[in-house]
This record gives sequence, C-alpha cells and structure tokens, in this order.
Amino acid sequence: MIRGTGIVKTFKQRGSVLAGREVKALRGVDFSIEKGGAVSFIGESGCGKTTLGRIIAGLETYDSGEIVIDGTAMSALKPRARQPYFRRIQLIHQDPYSALNPTRTIHQTLHAPLALRAKQTRRPGSWIDTRAAELLSLVGLDPGYVLPRYPHQLSGGMRQRVVIARALTVDPEMLVADEATSMIDVSLRLGILSLLKDLRERLGVSVLFITHDVATARYIGGDGDMYVIYRGQIVERGKVETIISSPVHPYTQSLLSAIPVLHGLERPGEQRVVPTEALDESKSDDGCLFARRCPFSTDRCTSEIPLLARSGGFAQEHSCFYPERRNVVATPLEAA
Amino acid sequence: MAVSVETSAETPVEPMPESAPKTAPGVRVGGLSVVYKTPAGELPAIAGIDLELRPGTITGVVGESGSGKSTLALSLLNAVQPPGRIAAGSVEIDGLGDVVGLRGEELRKARGRHIGYVFQAAQNSLNPLKTVGKQLLDLGRSHGVSDLRALVREAKELLGRMGLDGARVLDSHQHELSGGMRQRVGIMLALVLNAHLVVLDEPTTALDMITQATILRIIREVHEERGLTTMVITHDLGVVAEVADRLAVMYGGRVVEQGPTHEVLATPRHPYTRGLLGAIPRLVGDIDEARALPGRPPTLGTVPREGCVFRERCALRMDVCETVEPPTVADGPRLVACHAVEAGGAVREESA
Amino acid sequence: MSDMNPAVALPGGARATLRRNFWRGVWRVLKRKPSRMAGAIIVLGFAFMGVFGPLLYPDQLPRDDNALYAPPSWAHPFGTDFEGTDVLALVVTGAQYVLLTGLVTAVITIVLGTGVGLFAGFRRGRWDSVLMRITDMKLTIPGLPLLLVLSTIWKFSSAWEMGLVLGLLGWGGVARAVRSQTLSLRERGFIEAARGLGLSTTHIIGRELLPSMAPFIAMNMLIAVTGAVYAQVGLFFLGVLPFEANNWGVMLNLAVFGGGALTTTAALPYLMAPLLAILLLTLGIVLVVDAMDEIFNPRLREE
Repeated sequence: MIRGTGIVKTFKQRGSVLAGREVKALRGVDFSIEKGGAVSFIGESGCGKTTLGRIIAGLETYDSGEIVIDGTAMSALKPRARQPYFRRIQLIHQDPYSALNPTRTIHQTLHAPLALRAKQTRRPGSWIDTRAAELLSLVGLDPGYVLPRYPHQLSGGMRQRVVIARALTVDPEMLVADEATSMIDVSLRLGILSLLKDLRERLGVSVLFITHDVATARYIGGDGDMYVIYRGQIVERGKVETIISSPVHPYTQSLLSAIPVLHGLERPGEQRVVPTEALDESKSDDGCLFARRCPFSTDRCTSEIPLLARSGGFAQEHSCFYPERRNVVATPLEAA
Repeated sequence: MAVSVETSAETPVEPMPESAPKTAPGVRVGGLSVVYKTPAGELPAIAGIDLELRPGTITGVVGESGSGKSTLALSLLNAVQPPGRIAAGSVEIDGLGDVVGLRGEELRKARGRHIGYVFQAAQNSLNPLKTVGKQLLDLGRSHGVSDLRALVREAKELLGRMGLDGARVLDSHQHELSGGMRQRVGIMLALVLNAHLVVLDEPTTALDMITQATILRIIREVHEERGLTTMVITHDLGVVAEVADRLAVMYGGRVVEQGPTHEVLATPRHPYTRGLLGAIPRLVGDIDEARALPGRPPTLGTVPREGCVFRERCALRMDVCETVEPPTVADGPRLVACHAVEAGGAVREESA
Repeated sequence: MSDMNPAVALPGGARATLRRNFWRGVWRVLKRKPSRMAGAIIVLGFAFMGVFGPLLYPDQLPRDDNALYAPPSWAHPFGTDFEGTDVLALVVTGAQYVLLTGLVTAVITIVLGTGVGLFAGFRRGRWDSVLMRITDMKLTIPGLPLLLVLSTIWKFSSAWEMGLVLGLLGWGGVARAVRSQTLSLRERGFIEAARGLGLSTTHIIGRELLPSMAPFIAMNMLIAVTGAVYAQVGLFFLGVLPFEANNWGVMLNLAVFGGGALTTTAALPYLMAPLLAILLLTLGIVLVVDAMDEIFNPRLREE
C-alpha cells in the first residue's frame, strides 16, 4: 500500500556552534509495505529508522525520493492533498506519557477525531460515544473506567492502549509503532505487542514496527520483512526468520551478537561478532559505512560503495562485499 | 592497583588516605524496610528485605517500576532522600559496619571510598560545564586525596582499561562524549577512589544494543580484575543474565526469589519469575509461547498491606495468599517466597 | 459542535461534570494552603472595591476644612488629606481607576502576547521571523520615556485609555515567552498526533495548546495587573498626568511633595494608605499566582 524509492533526508544543524553541520539521516532508502503486512525496521538510535517512520506517517518532509501510497505518487500532490493519504498511516509514539494531552480526559481525546470522522462519514453524533467505547474495548480497556480519566490516572501500559485506540479512530490502514513498548514495564510489554499483532490479524491493519529489539520484531511479524538500517542506509533486508537465523551482513551480526544471552536457558552463538568501537564514525563517508567498525573489512570496503542487492546465493538482500553466514544467535539449551 | 596497603578496617588515617580494605567486602542486608511519607501516610517502598551480597560476586537485582529496586540500591549508601526514610533493618558492610547507623562525615567518606555508585542514567549525571578531569579533581579534593596526580593516573588507567583514551576523555566535556563513553566515565568515577563495593543502577538503560554489550563486558572484566563486590540493578532480565552470578527478583518491595542466575533462569520457581521470563519475546524457539502477564505491577499506594504482594496477578493463588505474607524458604542456594511453591515442595518444571 | 445536540446526552453531561470538577478542584487547591486563601480573599476584596467602591460614597467626597492632615481616628482611619477629605474614602473610590487600568492592560497584554506568540510559534518560518522582529522592535522601545512624551499630549482621563496604552506597550515579553512555549509544546507527541489525525488548526491551538499553557497565561495575566498598577501609579506620582484627588498615584505625589510626608509625620497616614493598598494588592496577587500551576494541571489539582 505504500512504497518509497530513494528517500533522502538531511538535517541541518542550527545554533551558533554547530551551524551548517549536516547530519545525513537517510541516504537513499527504498521500502515497500503491503496491505495487511508486517515490516520491521531494526537499528540503533540515530540510524534513521525513526526519521523514516515519521516520513512514512507524513510527519516529516524528505529532501528527495518518491513515496507512492495506494498508487498515487505524493510528489504530484500539493501538501494539503497529501493529508488524506497520510491519515491512513498512524504513528504510535514511543512515549505514552507525552503522546496524550495531560489536560484532557480520555473522552475528550477520543471525541475530537471521532467527531471529525462522524462528519466526514455523515454518521449521527450518537455514533461517537458508541465508537469510543468500542475502540477502547478493542484495545483491551474498560471504557467505563478509562473514559472519564486523565492520562496521569492511567498506567503506562493503559496509556499506550489509549494511544492505539486514538490512532484507530480514523480507521487507518497502517500503524507505525516506533519503539512502542520501550517505556513500558517489562511484564506489560507483551500485552501491547500482542495487541498490535491482534489488530493486524483481525482488522487487516499493516504494522510497521520500528525497534532496536530484534526479538520483539520477531514476535510482531515473524512472517514479515525486516530492514536492518545503519547510518541512514539499509544494509540487509529479508524475511524476519531468515535474517535472525542466518544473517550475512557483519553489522546485522554485530547487532544480533549483542543481544543478551539468557544463560541457563540458552547457549551463545559461537561466532559472535564484536565490532570495533568508532569514536567519531560520522567523519568517514567513503566506501561501506560500516567498514571502520567491521572486523572483516578490507581495502575494497573503504574505497568502493557496496549496493543493496541479492547476491552470493543468499535468500536476503544485503550490502556487503564479503557476505557470510555466521552463527551468532543463541540456541536454546534444553532439547528436552 | 600498584600501591596496596593492607590495613585493618579502622577509620582512615590522614597521611595514608588510600587505606580502605583492598578485598571485596561482603554485604548483608537484614530486615530492611524503607517507607515514604505520602498524603496517605507512610507507605513501604521495600519491606523486610534480606539479601546477601557475597564477597567477589555480581548480584543482579531485577524488578519493574515500583518494585523498590532503586530504593534498595540507595539504602546501601544510606542515601534514601526524604520523604523516604529507612524504617527498620540493617545494612552490614565488611570493614564499614552497619551503614544505616552512619551519619554526616563518616557517611560521606564511606560513599566513594568504600561504596562506588553509578547512577541511573549516568549518561546525564556529569556536570555539563566542567571537564571530566575537573570533576575528577573535585571528587578527589572532597575526599581529601593528597596525591591528586596519582588519582589522575589511576583514572587514566581505568579509562584505558575500558577502551578509551584516558587523557582525551579527561579533557572532554559531557557533550563531547557518547552515551557509552559517559557510562564508562561514571564507572571510572565510582571506582577511582578504590571502592570495592560497586552499585550500578540501570547501567545500560538508554544505551544501544552493541554499546550495552560492551558495557556489560566491561563491568564483568573490571569486576574480576579489581576484585569487587558488585550489585547491578535493572529491569532487564537479559542484562542480569549476561553479568550476574546471583539473581534477586523484586516485586512490590519484596525479594520474591533469589539464587544462582543460571539456576533461576533455567528453573524459575516463583510464579512472578516464571511469568516474567515467559513474557519476554525470544530470538529462538517458538515465539508464540510468549505469554503476557495479566494485571500490572503495584505502585507505592496499591501494594497489598497483607498477604502476598503478587497474588493479584498469580495463577497459583490460594486462600492463604490473601492473608499471610509468604515466608522466604531456602532450598540449597535458592530462596523463594511463595505459598504455592512451599506447599508443592519444589514445583519443578510443571509449567509449560 | 455535535455534542451540543440534545440527542447526545453523555458528552454534554460529561462536560458539565468536568466543569463542576474543575471548580471543586480550584476550591481544593486554594484550601491546600492558607496563604492562597488569604490571597484569594484579598484579590476578591479589591475586585469588590473596584466595582462597588464608588457607590459607597457620595460623588463629591465631603471635606472637613477644620481637619486638614488630621491624624488617624475612628472617623478617619487613615486621617485626612490637605483638603480634609477622608483618606480611606479616597483610596476606596480611587481603586476603580487603578484596577480597571490593570485589568484592561492585562487583557490586552495577554490577548496580543498570546495571539502573536502562538501564531509565530505554531506557524514558524517566515511568519515567525516577521512577528518576532516586530516584537523585538517593540521590546526596544523604552516604555517610561514614551509614556512621558505621550502624557504631554494625551491626558489619559479614562482608565480604558490608560490601560490601552500600557497594554500596547507591554505584550512583547509575553509574546516571546508564549512563542517559546509553543515551539516546545508543538514537538510533543499529542500535538503531533492531533496533526496526524487531521484535526483542525483551531482545535489544535484552542483545545490542545492553550490549555497546556493556561497556568502560564494566567500567571502572566495576574503579574501584568501588578505591572500596570505600578506603571500608572508611577506616572501619576511623577505628576505628569492631570490632577485627580482620589488617584493613588496623585495621592502619593501630594503626600510627598505637598504634605512633606518624608520630613514630617502629619502627612504620613496620607502617604501610607495608597502605599498599603498597592502592597496588599501585590501580595494578594502573588499569593494567588502560587496556586495557578495546580489549578490548571489536572494531576496537581486532583491530588
């Protein structure tokens, strides 16, 4: 339903000291998300995954490239005319504490977008409250309890559910969940994740899941695509299970190697990759962006730019001159 | 450390300020309760905690928000701030005595020299206006270190050990350092006065995966090389699994289960530990086996006053859980506080 | 709004409940500290004085030629002035002008300042630059000299005129502050969510942004009142404005320069009365300002 090609975004720093410094957030990224599909963007903070998510949700502009939503190219439309397209894509913020207006009750929060929706679809005013209650039940909340309350009276998990309910008021076709569980208590995270999974299965909503946590991405969309993003570029792309079980790009391998092993339950992978530390990595833009940290890099890596493609007989696309499967992921201990 | 002077655990003598005991101290927390004053009266943040940090081990304390883990960490320094106060119990640290009884100057000396503390979000706990080196000197002066050169040398050595360019870092301001570098500076500042008991509060929160792995490796290595007793407070079971020898699981202000990390992870006994482990999506195995825990963790105001604190969310709930707080029962190196586990002997592996 | 439709019972009812809860919350917040109660009573007292003060006395205040600069007594708690008029009566009847000026100034300051600040901060870009340049230019105009010049050609006989001038001179600071608040608030998740949901700009500004800034705006409004009181009392005290027997500033002027209150004790009560009134009003406002944060923040209000 949404496709992007060659998306580039550069932030120019303002302020006296850093004025004029440029940060390349995205360096020509392609993506495509099917209706009802699940896609996850994996990467560390600052890699551009959040910026890309915001661009997809229509909350950020891009410098060049093209986005096509349901067959309509956004470049052909005036900014105002794009809005209805981007409204189909709703962002779930990372921070449920700032995503809800502290001065408004949940009823007020849901009422405003529903009233707009009622007007657009010529529904009677009475539909609004029915729908608000319906949506809250859908996300697993008790409408009677939640509606009259202010955000501060709800727990983080409940707030995030309200945020999801609010996104659903406009009947979106896609939800962009940006680290949607990272600020929620561990025992409640899975509840939010399974809610997103559930919405995808029951309502056919596509889910774009942006995270640094590969395991949660696996939970949300095991059958979907995973994009591994490093410094504004996709370095590896393929099915989630493929990438987790047989990553070929050293960066992906470093990421997977860094996931803590539950000793006692799991045995660490034997070929864990530890990248060298880059103290000021942003300086070098030649060749492979990961070359300076990559334990396997050669002269070719620092001079030539590898492109994302399917090569070497691997199932996924990658951008490495020397792709190689490495056993980095932990394996479960008890076969019993 | 090159200079190591073995002295008994008396008050430090002035000319020889580096005379703290050079071995990893043991810590025994006994019946510790901390209450916070609220409009609804004094509410317990932690209640009757018994915990032993064995010399030379890393103990991981895991808990969600409101479990009291940070309060426990602060109690180790006797640094609970009003409106909170230590209401009962003791924190015995080898070579220092009961920290709960310490006051004023003694306490200030103990922090830093005996106990190093790496604050939650150490990434942001540096003074943005001063270089790291200046802050190091401030720390040395406030602790009456006579040989500041040696202190700087020690700091450089520590930073170098953690993979950083010591001289450069000491010349840097906070904003010139990345999150992982700041965290290492935090660890350096906690260790530079030669403390042998180190408390790390959420050492990797807000760090990237790869940086987290690096920091955890460093914690482990520095712990072994310097012979420390370490306590790591975190909400992330993975972090504990990576570094800790022993694991204590906190819930609602109680330690509900503790034991050797591998054993607890392999055969969790308390229903909360099991639920928590089951609620973590894993990279391997059947992903659909992950199950969310029902309900939500209690807050200061909603912790049940009597009975088991976990019963609201517990699948094994029995009548007795309503009224009687489960006692902590030992089974070898493992301790569990649960009526159901006690009744069923060791309920091993009957859960799916 | 569709919830005005009588068919929809719940939202209308819910809104009424909210409003009731709000006032109950305000009461609770005030009760929390005795000082706030005192502040509220003082402010209400002044408001009463401003509205009904002149009705308590005859249009022409009686003079007692036998008691010029009389010392305080039961009949004249603050003595009398140079004409033998009761000082308390002067202060009470003079309150209307002072307070009305303060109110007009505050309203103009807040409306202009908030409007400009919100618009600049929300639109950003070119509008922001232009409006902020204007604001900066306005901020560089020295207020007092301008007022002195203005007063030579304009007599400010009505409180409305005085308030208008002070208000037009005073909105710059508020505009800057509101702009920076808007800039930071618009990055917050809930504002972005509202944009993503396609809610109108009017809704976003009126329903999402403004309530978040309410405590700030209310505080500024109260502080603007005190500022306006000082400014105009100052002007009258300097004697650049026409003579009005019951104007607080003129009273101060006469007490000091006519009655010699700084050297003799006779005119001291005459000096003290308006001074005390100004101090008391400031005190009341400062005490009430303390409650604003809690009144407009649902979390602090409910606790």
